[in-house]
Amino acid sequence: MPATKTKPYIGQPLKRVEDPRLIKGIASYVDDLKMPGMLHMAILRSPYAHAKITGIKTTTAKAVPGVVAVLTGADVNDKCGPVPCAAAMPVPKVPKHTVLAGDRVYFVGHPVAVVVAADRYVLRDALDLIEVDYDALPAIADPEQALAKDAALAHPDFGTNVAYTWTLANGDLDAVFKAADRIVKQKMVHQRVTPMPIEPRGCLTSYHAGEGTMTLWTSTQVPHLIRTLVPGLIGIPENKMRVVAPEVGGGFGAKLQIYAEEILCCHLAQRLAAPVKWIESRRENASSTIHGRAQVGYYEVAVKKDGTVLAIKARSIADLGAYFQLLTPMIPTLTGLMLAGCYKLKAVRMDLTGVYTNTMATDAYRGAGRPEATYLVERLMDCVADELGLDPVKVRLKNFPKPSEFPFTTATGLVYDSGNYAGALKKAQQLAKWDALLKQRDTARKAGKIFGVGLSTYVEICALGPSKIMPAGGWEWGCVRIEISGKVTVITGTTPHGQGQETSFAQLVGDKLGVPMEDVVVLRGDTNVAHFGRDTYGSRTTVVGGMAIVMCIDKIIEKAGKLAAHLLGAKKVSFKNGTFVAGKKSIGWPQLAGEAYVAKNLPVGLEPGLEASAFYEPPNCTFPFGTHIVAVEIDRDTGQVKIVKYVAVDDCGPQINPLLVEGQVQGGIAHSIGQVLFERTVYDENGQLLTGEFMDYAMPRAGDIPVYIMGSTVTPSTSNALGIKGVGEAGTIGATPAIANAIIDALSPFGVRHLDLPLTPEKVWLALQKGGAR
Amino acid sequence: MIPAAFDYHRPGTLAEAVRLLNDDAKVLAGGHSLIPAMKLRLAQPKVIIDIAGIGDLNYIRERAGKLAIGAMTTHFDIESSNLLAEQCPLMTELAPQIGDVQVRNKGTIGGSLVHADPAADWPAAILALDAELDVTGPSGGRTVKAKDFFVDMLQSAVGPNEILTEIRVPATSRSVAYVKFAQKASGFAIAGVAVVAGKLTSVGVTGVAAKAYRAAAAEAALRSGASFSDAAQKAADGIDPLTDIHASGDFRAHLARVNTLRALERATARR
Amino acid sequence: MKLAATYTLPGSRDKVYAALTDAGTIQKCIDGCEKLVQTGDGAYDAHLKIGVAGLKGSYVGKVQLRDRLPPESYTLLIEGKGSPGFVKATAKMQLVASGDSTKLTCDAEAQVGGLIAAVGSRLIEAAARKMMDEFFRKMAINTTGSA
Repeated sequence: MPATKTKPYIGQPLKRVEDPRLIKGIASYVDDLKMPGMLHMAILRSPYAHAKITGIKTTTAKAVPGVVAVLTGADVNDKCGPVPCAAAMPVPKVPKHTVLAGDRVYFVGHPVAVVVAADRYVLRDALDLIEVDYDALPAIADPEQALAKDAALAHPDFGTNVAYTWTLANGDLDAVFKAADRIVKQKMVHQRVTPMPIEPRGCLTSYHAGEGTMTLWTSTQVPHLIRTLVPGLIGIPENKMRVVAPEVGGGFGAKLQIYAEEILCCHLAQRLAAPVKWIESRRENASSTIHGRAQVGYYEVAVKKDGTVLAIKARSIADLGAYFQLLTPMIPTLTGLMLAGCYKLKAVRMDLTGVYTNTMATDAYRGAGRPEATYLVERLMDCVADELGLDPVKVRLKNFPKPSEFPFTTATGLVYDSGNYAGALKKAQQLAKWDALLKQRDTARKAGKIFGVGLSTYVEICALGPSKIMPAGGWEWGCVRIEISGKVTVITGTTPHGQGQETSFAQLVGDKLGVPMEDVVVLRGDTNVAHFGRDTYGSRTTVVGGMAIVMCIDKIIEKAGKLAAHLLGAKKVSFKNGTFVAGKKSIGWPQLAGEAYVAKNLPVGLEPGLEASAFYEPPNCTFPFGTHIVAVEIDRDTGQVKIVKYVAVDDCGPQINPLLVEGQVQGGIAHSIGQVLFERTVYDENGQLLTGEFMDYAMPRAGDIPVYIMGSTVTPSTSNALGIKGVGEAGTIGATPAIANAIIDALSPFGVRHLDLPLTPEKVWLALQKGGAR
Repeated sequence: MIPAAFDYHRPGTLAEAVRLLNDDAKVLAGGHSLIPAMKLRLAQPKVIIDIAGIGDLNYIRERAGKLAIGAMTTHFDIESSNLLAEQCPLMTELAPQIGDVQVRNKGTIGGSLVHADPAADWPAAILALDAELDVTGPSGGRTVKAKDFFVDMLQSAVGPNEILTEIRVPATSRSVAYVKFAQKASGFAIAGVAVVAGKLTSVGVTGVAAKAYRAAAAEAALRSGASFSDAAQKAADGIDPLTDIHASGDFRAHLARVNTLRALERATARR
Repeated sequence: MKLAATYTLPGSRDKVYAALTDAGTIQKCIDGCEKLVQTGDGAYDAHLKIGVAGLKGSYVGKVQLRDRLPPESYTLLIEGKGSPGFVKATAKMQLVASGDSTKLTCDAEAQVGGLIAAVGSRLIEAAARKMMDEFFRKMAINTTGSA
């Protein structure tokens, strides 16, 4: 009989179950997997951003001893693929995304040929021996220039670089703008960034000819989406394909994907009758894994003199790249959905143009369109405060909906479940010692220092989502099984890859079933084990995955109650702390499980076993929110920015594990520090990628992270019985504008109203010079 | 990330190493410049001569009033040398600012100097200290003065048949400093300034131009009694600053001036 | 990237122009030009081993002399591709007599792609300038005594 706990698991900041194996280096990533007879695959990629392929010579490479195959588009494009896009958008002309290039290449890194060999060294040498003749064509790398009349065409056959136009409009924008006291305008560039997970992409495929089954182990966030979409692309029936996500060293949306290399690797396993492994290099990861953000926007906000914000208008240009990956065209539309931010607006309008360029495709990257929305809205709020001569905090407070107004229908048509924006803001101010901080700014400025304070009040949409708005189902599947021994196995159709649900789900199950956490195993990531699922992205796992598990537990308790009543000879039983009680008699899980499986004494009509599965359909997304407050000091002579205070107050509802929540927020803030201060994917005017390695693409390191002051408010969601909201992306959504606003505040005495990211030392220093800082 | 094939030798003596050198061979010291280049296949030497097997190239000794440092001494060994901290503290101030811990544990001062990366840190100090560098080749040994050592971007005075064996630096006072503005991604210098302050203050600058240089105009200004501010203004005179995606030439030149002033102030504050 | 420079070469415009457009001389002056084989009028196949110090790569490509207006101007086109990437440079040359010497203005536009662009972008401009300077330094030696 397990000792009864003194307090519930839920709410405790427990260390992660996953961590010991990760820290000790005994976790299994895809490159740790080996199979007998395994071959290795490498991709030859285009060094040109746009060119005709006039010839490919593979004879020399093929002749290298140990090379099993050298194949080009002509050999594979009609046998597997194309690379799928699941976003249903009205795009008149979509480039056919064959697995290898056809007769043209459209971006640096575009796969052109594939080599397979048993030895990795032979493989690498053979790659150098493939001769490809290119006729360079004019390339377009800048999305605004792509709209110019005489711009080079990314896809010349299309006659235009415009992929699509999309509008979101609610309310009488023109009337509202006419009635406004002032229109505040600002252009902003959301720079392109490269996700750079520590583990690059890789996969291992194996085809069992006898059974006709294909197994794909891949560093992915979405084994179920792959199993839905890929079988048809490789000529395998859906129910003969197994996809497994081993340990994944960072996804962040870059692995919410189906890549050409994965499809090709599957095809080759079948074609060559051997397991095939592919592991990319860092440079390939930089050039050929999806990029993030990459929008330009011209924004206008209609306001009243007293700081009432009436409407926001956006003309946006989204740089989609040369091809669509899984969700490419849809991501910038999420910016439109969140255009109202935390504010009560009368009208919104976004006119979005998606543009093709000769660059790598953009797609979902931590926040996926929502960081852009929060950044633009929160920067606009500061611009409004600046132009009207008002306090940026007061402007925000003035335009928040009150908690009693929730569920709150925004100007974009979304229904925010619950919120207390003023509460989070006030708490953040409290933790930041706001008044003292402003005094500190004054004192610093009087002493000739360059000091700034900024904030951002954010809300974001996550826990995707109701199936009505999702491309292929937003539900989640779960299964809970009490084994004969009384141990518990939980299977989730989500695919956590660092989010910690092995721990948080065990906490949830431990509390609800009344079993020790140590007895709970959480399985995920193998489509043979988690039969159904919609995987992990959009901060959905704990909410949607957790609720599916709660449904399973409810079913099990109900069934077990019947068995317990029968065994205890009672009409009714009550369940508490893992025990079914009827008067003085009680029975616990190990005994119940034994009875359920040995099945000698089951009530009539009750099936053996103690297992339940469920599909949970979320009625709405969830809308976490918060306020981040940042103070910065800038070195006058070098433009270097130092974060001297960072306060984050985030509200994701009740927290199953505060340590996990803190970790997510901290990680998200780190992403923002990178985006605000130094991250930028650079293509030159010929579409050459100049940030192809960590030598040139700066990522935040431990030394860049300030000590955070973290707090939270708890405003339960009305969207689910647990009241929880997602938090995986909230940190980076809230942090970017807070840091940027602090820096612009520091520069405002020098006449700076706005500066685009990244705010590198040189950029900041130039702004200071222009403003006369000496 | 796999280099092209190569032959590997690990000679036991300097003479043997020199004998093995030719146009197709590269010396392997700490490997943290060479191996990344080989993994990218930017460098494809046919022969690698690993000189870690040659004894007595890793030392820090006092000799005739100077500090002699073996070419295979790691940055970490320099960083943690009490002898250098006392006698030539510019070395121990600069060493911990190189790269990161892993690089400092393997990388050697000799390897770094011969590689002559325009943004490496050591050249600034070597120039400011007027170091002497011993080179051994098929026709024997010669000594190269610091001012002649850095020939061009990625090109030192060490020929393809030669090996750098020793670096000699003078003993100095405590009035030294190395101030560096690092490239955020790589940690290399966008502008690194080494100052040895005294009656004749020397200023070595790295990261700014195609090779490290002595800020002669700034030094001359100091000799004629200019203030630190005024002298530092000349820190980028007469050179063509590099421009890349991380910093424009103008910004590099500006940082050379800023860091020169900061290094001068920091150096003289230490007595 | 754009590179512009002016060089003074000893010799009359005619002699300098002749040297600049002579295959043998061109090959001598391009450091690392292992082969230069004529394929047509002013067109050559080339094998180049170029780069900076120890980071040299082998490139196969073409050298072309176009828009020749002796002794005033011509355009030099160099294209090469190899495993480190590809290089394409177009240099417009203008010659102006200056006493016993010739003043040459070189206006070059160069495109670099592939590996060297992705990992070596910080060195490319300096390396290109160095190669340009070296070419004309060697050319000056060749035209000395060609008054």
